[in-house]
Amino acid sequence: MSFIITCPICGPRNAYEFGFGGEDKGPRPDEEALSPGDWCDYVHMNQCVAGVAREWWIHRSGCGVWFTTSRDTTRNLEVQVETMEKGPNPPLEKE
Amino acid sequence: MKKEIIRRSPVAFNMRPVKEERRGHWVVALEYENEGDGPHLVDLSHCIRWDLQDSDPNGDRGKWKPLGIPVPEQPGGCIIKNGVMINRMNNTQAAIWHLSGEEAEMPPETAYTDVTDATAFLALTGEKTFAIAEKLTALDLSDLDGTPPFLIQGPFVHVPCQIVVMANGAEQPGILLTCSRGYAHDMVAAILEAGKAFNLRPAGEAAFKRWLEQLK
Amino acid sequence: MNRINPLETFRIRPSQKVSIRYGRKSYQGVAGDTIATLLYANGVRIFSRSLKYHRPRGLYSLDGECSNTMMQVNDMPNVRVENTPARDGMEVVAQNVAGKTADIDPMAFMDNLSFAMPAGFYYRTLHKPAKIWPLAIKNIRKAAGLGVMNPDFRMPGHFDEIYPTTDVCVIGGGPAGMTAALSAAEHGLRVILLENRPWLGGVFDYRPTAYEGDIPLYRRAWELAEKVETTPNIRSFTHTAVVGNYNDHLVTAFQRGDKTDPFDERYIEIRARSLVIATGCIERPLLFENNDRPGIMQVGCAHRLARTWGLLPGKRAVFSIGDDLGLEAAVDLADLGLEIACVADTRQDGQDESLTDALAQRDIPFYRGWMATEAHGGKRLKGVILGPVTGIRRQTFDCNLLVASAGQTPLTSLLSMRQVKLRYDHHTGFFLPDNPPDGIHPAGRMLGLQDSVEIEISGRLAGMAAAADCGINMDKEIETIKTRMDAFPGPVRGAKVVSAAVKGKKTFICFDEDTTLKNVDQAMAYGFDVPELIKRFTSAGTGPGQGGIPGHNLPLYVAQTQQSPDTEPRPTTVRAPLVPTLLATYAGSQHDMSKRTALHDSQEATGGKMERIGVWNRIRRFSEDVNARAEINNVRSNVGMLDASTLGKFRIHGPDALKALQRVYVSNMEKMIDGKIKYSAMCNEDGCIIDDGVVVKRGDNDYYFTTSTGRAGQTVEWIRFHTRYDGWNFNLVNLTDAYGVINLAGPNARKVLEKITAADVSNGAFPYIGYREFMIADSIPARAMRLGFVGELSYEFHVPASYMQALWDILEEAGQEFGVQNFGLEAQSTLRLEKGHLIIGSESEQRTTLHDVGLGFLWNRKPSAKTVGAVALEDTEKQKGRLKLVGIKMADAALPTPRDGSIIVDTKIRGYVCTARFSDTLNEPVGMVLVEDELSKIDTQFNIYEDDCNGRLITAKVADMPFYDPDGKRMKM
Repeated sequence: MSFIITCPICGPRNAYEFGFGGEDKGPRPDEEALSPGDWCDYVHMNQCVAGVAREWWIHRSGCGVWFTTSRDTTRNLEVQVETMEKGPNPPLEKE
Repeated sequence: MKKEIIRRSPVAFNMRPVKEERRGHWVVALEYENEGDGPHLVDLSHCIRWDLQDSDPNGDRGKWKPLGIPVPEQPGGCIIKNGVMINRMNNTQAAIWHLSGEEAEMPPETAYTDVTDATAFLALTGEKTFAIAEKLTALDLSDLDGTPPFLIQGPFVHVPCQIVVMANGAEQPGILLTCSRGYAHDMVAAILEAGKAFNLRPAGEAAFKRWLEQLK
Repeated sequence: MNRINPLETFRIRPSQKVSIRYGRKSYQGVAGDTIATLLYANGVRIFSRSLKYHRPRGLYSLDGECSNTMMQVNDMPNVRVENTPARDGMEVVAQNVAGKTADIDPMAFMDNLSFAMPAGFYYRTLHKPAKIWPLAIKNIRKAAGLGVMNPDFRMPGHFDEIYPTTDVCVIGGGPAGMTAALSAAEHGLRVILLENRPWLGGVFDYRPTAYEGDIPLYRRAWELAEKVETTPNIRSFTHTAVVGNYNDHLVTAFQRGDKTDPFDERYIEIRARSLVIATGCIERPLLFENNDRPGIMQVGCAHRLARTWGLLPGKRAVFSIGDDLGLEAAVDLADLGLEIACVADTRQDGQDESLTDALAQRDIPFYRGWMATEAHGGKRLKGVILGPVTGIRRQTFDCNLLVASAGQTPLTSLLSMRQVKLRYDHHTGFFLPDNPPDGIHPAGRMLGLQDSVEIEISGRLAGMAAAADCGINMDKEIETIKTRMDAFPGPVRGAKVVSAAVKGKKTFICFDEDTTLKNVDQAMAYGFDVPELIKRFTSAGTGPGQGGIPGHNLPLYVAQTQQSPDTEPRPTTVRAPLVPTLLATYAGSQHDMSKRTALHDSQEATGGKMERIGVWNRIRRFSEDVNARAEINNVRSNVGMLDASTLGKFRIHGPDALKALQRVYVSNMEKMIDGKIKYSAMCNEDGCIIDDGVVVKRGDNDYYFTTSTGRAGQTVEWIRFHTRYDGWNFNLVNLTDAYGVINLAGPNARKVLEKITAADVSNGAFPYIGYREFMIADSIPARAMRLGFVGELSYEFHVPASYMQALWDILEEAGQEFGVQNFGLEAQSTLRLEKGHLIIGSESEQRTTLHDVGLGFLWNRKPSAKTVGAVALEDTEKQKGRLKLVGIKMADAALPTPRDGSIIVDTKIRGYVCTARFSDTLNEPVGMVLVEDELSKIDTQFNIYEDDCNGRLITAKVADMPFYDPDGKRMKM
């Protein structure tokens, strides 16, 4: 965990400031007609790529924002950084 | 009820103040014995703090103006006016700290929450501020690229903190920090121990105000 | 021993005396001495006895790369005395010997038995029959080893830690490192420079050889060091060993403090944007028979003993070296008064002619292409046999000092730790980095450079490249300096000869583990073909020195000896810590951070027994009685007060607040009534219960809710995570620490409350499950809830934490006439057990669903909310074979109370006891258990097994809950 993760709010920080939120699998599926097996796959099955993975992280010891970033799992390094446009703390439009 | 009702800070230094002042329900320590020239650790936990959260604290370019002060637009940004500091924490949240220590009425909008008692509020000031801080955090507080005052949120003695670097020049640097109230005792103990070699002493609010004054 | 006349290069102050004890005697040295040089000055030559064979060992490198000088200092074992400054009053004892010094060792006969211990001896021999192994271990451990740790030993001293951030981190404070630091600092960057020795200077520090013009190298080193020390944006750390280099340039190190520092050691963790690695070289050990005898040392060791500490290393010396630094040392030491019998150089040609001329001028015989093949003597070196590298001529020379070195070998560990591929370079004989990754810049001697000016320029270039990493445009300057580099000779040809042609029975490739060349040959004969495997089988390089001394020769020797012609030498893997680091140093200041409630001090003062629960300190009980019976009885009959401040407390507000609550709570949160509490639970995706708490609606889109103590820290994160794709507009404020909570519980609770508030708190105005906000004592704003966790009339007051002590004092005073008393967690646990109320984590585990604990009634099917856990609950609701939570009583009330965690058995394990207590109120034991659904019907009997029940099982039967006040009349009073 020596590597650096770039928080979209706070910038690059030590990885140990962050918590891991799993692979980016997309939104929760609709529950209508969802089989238990499909649900289980969504919750528990992962790609586990040896290479670049898109993942959720939270800046747990910092600003607390959830965001996605890409990590090369073979080198344990963040590989590209993009500022989140949509996320848990998005700049929402005023109604 | 005859008994006086006192609000208590979570911070207790191991000494009695030589000067104190009653302010509302608080008893504020103005000065401690042998404060010396610094570095100083000051308890500001009596200072009123508000949380402001909304989808967009800058709303319509300046909807949120707590006490007439516009919220900084970028996370990390800080503004100080009339003894009040506003620091922007993320896209939807800002903190409002009354550095003057005076009482204030919270605006009625639901976006505000009084969080005075949620945290311990400390100031660490003086020439050796960063020498002490680097023993307690890996955060880059003395980042020369940053223009004070700026906000850093991250671990300080392993505990998530909101830290405002007020000055990072060679002269009289200093930081303000808030951490969860429950950690106050251990936080103060850790800072004082780290500062022992640099003669860090507890100081009262008056020392903090003098320091704040010379920043201008 | 008398010191030689003072030289400018001295790092000692001869006028200032230092005295230490070694064994039973006092020894005097001077300020600046290490323990090793102090002892050496007093004639001590044997510093330790080797691990297996108890061979005498002496000074070898002076930089602590092997276990030769590990001694016990002030009761601390395994101190490398060669880089530990001597301080007045130190108590030094030798290790792995029967006596207190290493001179005499009754176990020395072990050396004669070495023939009986081939490589892998223990693994191959001592496992048949199996019972021999414990016996063997016991005796081997007695006979072999290093220092002995006394279990009562407590580490003295002050251990500090710092975590600086920097732009450029330069590792190595020699000429290349210093110029790199200076050139990076020119651009205003923050630079950190780390040096292992107590001073900057590196390979220049002690050498009188001319730099440019007439200035000697050591003066040049002073110049550079002064510049470094006066540059404000360079921080240099000396006497600092680097132990690790990790992803994104995280460098870990530790610094040994000197007398003026406020620490004994400090851990340093540096985050840099760019790294310069200028760690230079160490000497490659020369391999020949008895190459470990005291009196055999490396070039730098001999040279620095004289130049730095004023100690001539011997009387009559033979040199067997492989590079120009060896020749230079011979000339200089001869001038300082050392008698040199001859100098052998493994190289046939390529020497600096001015050095060979200088030897000739001093009438020192010089043998090209020669080397040491065997040393004579035991505790003291008596002589050495030299011969040509290829050929059979042998000639013996008497001497008491053999300066032996095969040449240089670069310190590349910090590169390998970052997965840099090292390639064997046939020109230099070095393992060199193929393509250093971005942001890492090797410089100086480790690249094979020897020319002093070239070393500095390579440092400057690396410093510039590092500055470029930090965003400064350096293109032009880098190009200019690269052109300048081209004018220099570049990497020099290195000597390739490592080992004399010997059988290797007493040729030690690893001093720490007593591994000989013969052992390596044996391993290869058994079929081990890769250095990594040979290393493990022979244990070469697995001792305290790690890769230091043996790591550099094993791959070369293996490559040269292997039959396969295409075998390229491959270095063994290097791992952190590169230098053994004290656990005390890693532990640092040991900041153990925990939380205290606002009542911590006053509760402790009234006799509260504090316990650490998660991040909080909480009171378990207020008396010596572990069952807290008095506290329980007082709540049941009068009124008690509990500090429940650790409960998680949150505000959620904003247009989508309700949606967020619907997502995480299993109940229908739309159905909230003003002034009334809603109790609900949260599940994880598997439908397993993770939290319960209450929610109140305080306004439009504005809610206040509580969580259990253990969940408080994760709640905001949890809600944000499970709404992360939705883009909802809601705001969360963690008020856990902002509000303190006092639970006032017992039949007299209302009487107390009525005295301190003007609000109408009658049962009609503030009924059970009610929520009210009012002022206490006209000043304290309280959020009050009528709950019944302990089964009595009770009020939970949530007040700003700063008012907590005031409220507590008011309640205590007002409650005096009604018998108010504190109660703690133990009392609460029994009280709520009697009431059948569960605590998540106590009556549930990871597999326990909402239905398993009987809270299924909280669940409301609301698929559009996509409630976390709902899909799984649908699936598990009717599932067979699950563990269900039920109450138990004993089959006979006279039976003992089972302990928490006891196992329920039928013909197999069928469940376990969550909590069980003897209830004074009910006068019998009661408990809650998780048991297979088949056994969960009322009156079902089963047996409970406990660790020391001696086969006598306790029979329990499933009983109705709540045990106490089943109709709940007392809570609703």
